[in-house]
Amino acid sequence: MKFLKSLTLPEFSLWNKMREQAKIVSFNLELTGRCNHNCRHCYINLPAQDQQAKAREFKVDEIAGIAEQAVSLGALWCLLTGGEPLLREDFFDIYLSLKKKGLLLSVFTNAALITDKHLCFFKKYPPRDIEITVYGVTQETYEKVTRKPGSFANFTRGLDLLLASGIKVRLKAMVLRSNVRELPEISRFCRGKTKDFFRFDPFLHLRFDGDAARNAEIKTERLAPEEIVALENSDPQRFKAMEKDCAQFIFPESSHSHCNHLFHCGAGQGSFTVSYDGFFRLCSSLWHQDCIGDLRKVSLTDAWSNLVLKVRDMRSDKEKFLKRCRICPIINLCLWCPAHAHLETQEMDSPVEYFCAVAHARAKSLKNN
Amino acid sequence: MEKKLVLESIFAPSEDVVAREIQGEFLIIPITSGIAESDEEIFTLNETARVVWNNLDGKRTLRALIDKLSVEFDSPAAEIENEVCGFTEELLKRKMLIEVKRG
Ligand code: SF4
Ligand code: SF4
Repeated sequence: MKFLKSLTLPEFSLWNKMREQAKIVSFNLELTGRCNHNCRHCYINLPAQDQQAKAREFKVDEIAGIAEQAVSLGALWCLLTGGEPLLREDFFDIYLSLKKKGLLLSVFTNAALITDKHLCFFKKYPPRDIEITVYGVTQETYEKVTRKPGSFANFTRGLDLLLASGIKVRLKAMVLRSNVRELPEISRFCRGKTKDFFRFDPFLHLRFDGDAARNAEIKTERLAPEEIVALENSDPQRFKAMEKDCAQFIFPESSHSHCNHLFHCGAGQGSFTVSYDGFFRLCSSLWHQDCIGDLRKVSLTDAWSNLVLKVRDMRSDKEKFLKRCRICPIINLCLWCPAHAHLETQEMDSPVEYFCAVAHARAKSLKNN
Repeated sequence: MEKKLVLESIFAPSEDVVAREIQGEFLIIPITSGIAESDEEIFTLNETARVVWNNLDGKRTLRALIDKLSVEFDSPAAEIENEVCGFTEELLKRKMLIEVKRG
């Protein structure tokens, strides 16, 4: 008789049940806003030495307190992100305190700070995975994006150490004006290093702090809609997936016409995000002041049971919303959502012309094919 | 080499795993490497195993545990002994249990 049944996570049937019952499945912790790089497109980074930002960071015991509540509400998986989470001097303490609560951990890092100490630690206390973003595969391109001399050598060294030690690594690429010429090589590099997973993301988000100069810079790094579509079409796996699910992406205009709710996405359904300074959000990008909660003042349990309901019930009767995005037949091809609309336009119910143009270019391409 | 179980021994959950109950499912989640075969693997316990796990508390001998369960479930001790020993061996093999005191 088998007393103990082994399960791999994708077959874990509780996920859906928990989401349906408004339980927490997972959460993201931004351990810091600081980063050792200064990427042109980054929506969060502050200088590594920024003492004010450092002073605002949630301490180990505050993080442990949030995790404790999240675990008691069902959470099983936690993503540690940043900024660069390995900049935290207490990273090991944070990681271990979460592990000991029975959380499965993923880590997003640029790999440049990986040392032998990290390797030993991760080998002893394995993360579910470590996800690394590849900005280029030559020093010139990589450092054009990161604006940090020496960062390419540090990245390749860190990545190779992790791969050699057998820790599960996933790679992804952000595609921006500064590295788009190298995307075929980046893609080959990533697929050569890890067999099971690679994705690229051409959508550059605006800054969480609304920094106007940095936002202007991010916009200059964005690709034109036609360039995005051409890239997507040149990736056979991605194109096939989109073609196969075409019916899900384009639907009749009337499908949401009866409803003025802002949120039809997964925000606050099964997961949430906490900023490095303790702000609860329903998802990473949702920074509108009516949608966040300061976890130094309210408990997670309170935010989860009250704020989430309040936000999910938000509505808009503005014509530009009701007549455009709410009934849009190609919304599933669009990056538009209340969170990103707010980052782009300061309003959660405004269309975003750049997103709109990308979505229409994608729809046209799908129809033509 | 496998050691034979001694009923006078006392066992407790290893600190390298965490037991959690989520939505009525009893899960064992490894903290350290060498327990699961992949980083995607967790474990669930069936009803019997859950009762035994909750009684492997680092205080009771296996024999005391068997006697207790035999009364609680009104079953012959030999039957319970089979189940308890089977499960304990499985947990030991997986390094989810430690022997606190060898009997
Ligand atoms: S980013 Fe937008 S679409 Fe995604 S969960 Fe947040 S609000 Fe919803
Ligand atoms: S921005 Fe345009 S494409 Fe996107 S959802 Fe709104 S109307 Fe549709």
